[in-house]
Amino acid sequence: MASRNRNSAASAPARRSNRGRIRADWDLYLLLVPGIAVLLLFKYVPMYGILIAFQDFRIFDGMSGSEWVGLDNFRRLFTSDDFLHVFVNTIAISLLKLVFLFPLPIVAAILLNELKNMAFRKSVQTVVYLPHFLSWIIVSGLFIDLLSINGGLVNKLLSQLGADPIPFFLSNDYFRGVLVATAGWKETGWSTIVYLAAFSTIDPGLYEAAKIDGASRLRQIWHITLPGIAPIIVLMLILRLGSIFAGDTEQILAMYNSTVYKSADIIGTYVYRMGLGKQEYSFTTAVGLFESVIGFALIIGGNYLSRKYLRRGIW
Amino acid sequence: MVKKLSVLLLGALLATAVSACGGNDSNNEAGSSSSSGGKGDKPELRMLMQYSRFDPNQDYSAKAVSTLTGYPIKFDMLPAENADEKLNLLVINKEPYDLMKLSAPQFYNLASTGALEPLDDRIEQFGGNIKTAISEKSWESAKIDGKIYGIPETGSGVAVSEELVVRQDWLDELGLKMPTNTDELYTVLKTIKEKKNVIPLTGSKEAVSSLLGDIAAAFGVTTDWVDQNGTLVHQIETPQMKDFLAYMNKLYAEGLLDVELPLNTAAKVMEKFANGQAAMFKLAWYNAPNAINALMANEPNAKVSLVPYLKDKTGKATVFAASGTTWYAVVPKYAKHKDDAVKLLDAKLQPDVFKELAIGKEGVHHEVKDGKYYPILPKFNDDLSNASVLMTGVDETHYPDYWAARVRKDPTLQAYFENMQKNAEGLIVTDPIALAPPIPEVAKNKLNLLQLQVDWMVNFISGTEPLTNYDAFVNEWKEQGGDEMTKGANDWYKSAKS
Amino acid sequence: MSSLTTKSALTGPPARRSSKIRKSGPEKLFDVCNYTLFTLIGLTTLLPFVNLLAKSLSSEEAVVSGIVGLLPVGFQFGTYRFVLQDAAFLDALGTSVTLTLIGTACSLLLTTLTAYPLSKPRLAGRKWLLLLFIFTMLFSGGLIPTYLLMHNLHLVNTLPVLFLPAMVNVFNMLVIKNYFEGIPDSLEESAKLDGAGNIRILYAIYLPLSLPVLATIALFFAVYFWNDYFNAMIYISNPGLKPLQLFLKELLASSSDFLRNATMDPDQAMNTAPQSIQAASVLLATIPILLVYPFLQKYFVKGVLVGSVKE
Repeated sequence: MASRNRNSAASAPARRSNRGRIRADWDLYLLLVPGIAVLLLFKYVPMYGILIAFQDFRIFDGMSGSEWVGLDNFRRLFTSDDFLHVFVNTIAISLLKLVFLFPLPIVAAILLNELKNMAFRKSVQTVVYLPHFLSWIIVSGLFIDLLSINGGLVNKLLSQLGADPIPFFLSNDYFRGVLVATAGWKETGWSTIVYLAAFSTIDPGLYEAAKIDGASRLRQIWHITLPGIAPIIVLMLILRLGSIFAGDTEQILAMYNSTVYKSADIIGTYVYRMGLGKQEYSFTTAVGLFESVIGFALIIGGNYLSRKYLRRGIW
Repeated sequence: MVKKLSVLLLGALLATAVSACGGNDSNNEAGSSSSSGGKGDKPELRMLMQYSRFDPNQDYSAKAVSTLTGYPIKFDMLPAENADEKLNLLVINKEPYDLMKLSAPQFYNLASTGALEPLDDRIEQFGGNIKTAISEKSWESAKIDGKIYGIPETGSGVAVSEELVVRQDWLDELGLKMPTNTDELYTVLKTIKEKKNVIPLTGSKEAVSSLLGDIAAAFGVTTDWVDQNGTLVHQIETPQMKDFLAYMNKLYAEGLLDVELPLNTAAKVMEKFANGQAAMFKLAWYNAPNAINALMANEPNAKVSLVPYLKDKTGKATVFAASGTTWYAVVPKYAKHKDDAVKLLDAKLQPDVFKELAIGKEGVHHEVKDGKYYPILPKFNDDLSNASVLMTGVDETHYPDYWAARVRKDPTLQAYFENMQKNAEGLIVTDPIALAPPIPEVAKNKLNLLQLQVDWMVNFISGTEPLTNYDAFVNEWKEQGGDEMTKGANDWYKSAKS
Repeated sequence: MSSLTTKSALTGPPARRSSKIRKSGPEKLFDVCNYTLFTLIGLTTLLPFVNLLAKSLSSEEAVVSGIVGLLPVGFQFGTYRFVLQDAAFLDALGTSVTLTLIGTACSLLLTTLTAYPLSKPRLAGRKWLLLLFIFTMLFSGGLIPTYLLMHNLHLVNTLPVLFLPAMVNVFNMLVIKNYFEGIPDSLEESAKLDGAGNIRILYAIYLPLSLPVLATIALFFAVYFWNDYFNAMIYISNPGLKPLQLFLKELLASSSDFLRNATMDPDQAMNTAPQSIQAASVLLATIPILLVYPFLQKYFVKGVLVGSVKE
């Protein structure tokens, strides 16, 4: 990282002397045109749909025929009896996942990188990302069997050790743990890929030099590998912040049941259940907008902090 | 300005890409429609179907519809999930369908917003066969403000679908008699638990209907709505429901009911019975071949019996059976070929055509023995497994007989279907609002209230919520739309009785 | 953070320490642990697939009873014959392969082109452009106006509707941009002195150096297009144009979904797919995309950058 900064610093004076840089870089702007066109057409043209959040939208009357209700939909969300409890659950589960699951692929990628037997390493890489391709419904069924109190493997082991069986899926004490663990099992392997790609940018000469210096593997990891992939880690972390609030509705819908609503009902699942069969376009749009605004603020905040303390960010 | 320019630019780009791909598509469509052999004076009709696991554009029955009526038809399908959202999108964008097959809530939703064509005049003009096929009672379910907006499809007649089954070999081994009421059931379950160390009774959390059934009926909980002195009261507001939950909670607490009931899917329940982990569960006849064959493969000496519907305190048994209109065939207001759409519906209900669409040709797809229709296998399954999906209204007098051929394709299926019906004879109750036209307040609130109900019921049974909180449940239910729904149901009920 | 790299560069290899290149005791222990750990992890992620394979090769009775573990019970091969003769499955497979190939190629191209200018700090208004893109990661107009747009563009019920809107993926774009930023500016400067334009520089210098990240993003796109069922569910009504994952999702929709639909139709319940066929379909729908990764692995070469810098 340091050497790269030095490179750019060296070239700075040359750049500064370049006066008509927009004109000189016209082809750079040309490259942006198709991407921005797709973005404007497919993302920004329909953006007016956000206004539905401030209406009592009836689909057959269209937006022009529906009544404007101001902040009513938001008021309904915030004043609902269950709001506080699902809000707390959303944040609690997201934070647990952030703390336990964000570092996991980085650690896994680094450890994978330390496997020197290429055939073994490639097979392992291919195998650990398999669960990403299983749907949450299938994963849920798998873990229900594995953690069952009627002959599930884990509880069999527990009883061998003389412990009481644990109803993982039925217990508000354990269910959040189940959510975090299964998400880790399913996605960690897949998430290593982006870090593995980043390793290729590190100069192998640095490791050679460090070995000759007698630096231990741990020191090499700490002083060469980690700094080498720091930019991508920072990017991933900032983007991850943006989704803290969205929660993983799909996973929880597939795995939870009414006995664990107390610990696992999040905004997404709650809104889903309450809206079943009701076609509440306005309310769901309002909830989505609320999540987006917070997510966007977190990304901007995260980028600001990252620029300030780590001196790098998305922009 | 820049925005507009780039949008235009991309638009041009896209147009080329799209015309290339779109061109391909229309070629395909032309190809498929010409192969279905339309006649010159009958236009190709476009029909929107509910999701089903086949491509109707390639299906034998669908082709038979075209051959027998002379109308080439191109089918589209709603997805299995988010079907209602998708339907709305299609309708507000006036996707040019001539016919649609809708569920009851979808039917009400579209009819009430004026998206559907009233059919009274056209049925009068072109619908001779339709009028003979559909009974007066069924027509009521398709009327909104006195006008007919669709052809109601009632299905195969009133029939029960589920009954408790028990491992008879275990009862014999333990010297237990078949339980006839909930007290005896308790004793049987307790003995099985002590002596066999298996799950005495298992069940699933998938729907309210999977929690109710034989045991609930013995406590008097059967239909959604109960007539109390002329006023409809929902089942959750009856004391019987509370008694039932208390009983189930006792079973659960004593380990007589599967501890994992809150997790079980229907498939899981069947699995536990089939591999000998559980002694009793509520079997649907259409799952009988799967469940029973699997059990026999694992334990060749196993014997399974139906548990006769349990009797209540007064010694009377009842069983709930779903009835009423399941589907509606409708014509959208913006359809291009409204007359032809109704003519097609009529042609499909011409008695001989209908019979062939339902059970194929005699000697090829079915045969007649003792006045009953039997399928000829495998031809019947190959060609006609989707026949009922393609129905748009049925010949209500004859269809139950035709339909019965479908359960005669497998001896286990037939045995369980027929025995369940025999056990239920004279005991069936149906819902007081089963034949009502779609009631807006019910259509709107039904689904989320069912979810709310199943969640609370599971929590009461499993002890997650104590029964002392029952009033909290009723209050939440009322607040979330229960009050509105009760009022809507009663408004119709009173108007229908007067 | 940079202390070690600079130090080693300055001091060079002292002869005294070179003997320590051979592995020490703790390092060997580390290796043993590491290999054991990944063998175990690999097993836990592989076994569910072995279980699916066993189910797909077992008799339906055995699968329904839940007694199939890692080996088939009541071996049969008919499920595969059934699935591979199913016209709907083959149609869906064809749609998915076409979609994935075209979609990945177009998206990778467009995303790379967009990422390059945005990786240049000298680009005027870069911050605002980036925000313009990132904004769409969180905010969207929702289903109704988007459907209306597709309808007006005559894209409904066509293949392009499944990839055109997805062509600029902001997450993937940021990953590529991030990678481009790591490529030393000196390379660009020297090419500029030779008179190369920006597009030429991107093509001749940046792209060859970015193969690892391009392979990664190609994989991300391929997997996205392969796995996406939601767009097809919304925009495709023609049963012949369904991609594989939508076909699969609807195949797996168990009888419980019909129960929830409140209208319980016994004919539909009788028509649900046997579980052994479901298992075979899941495997057959997953294996093609799994084959992509090993193929892309060869681009994850170490030290791609360094070689060129030294030239």
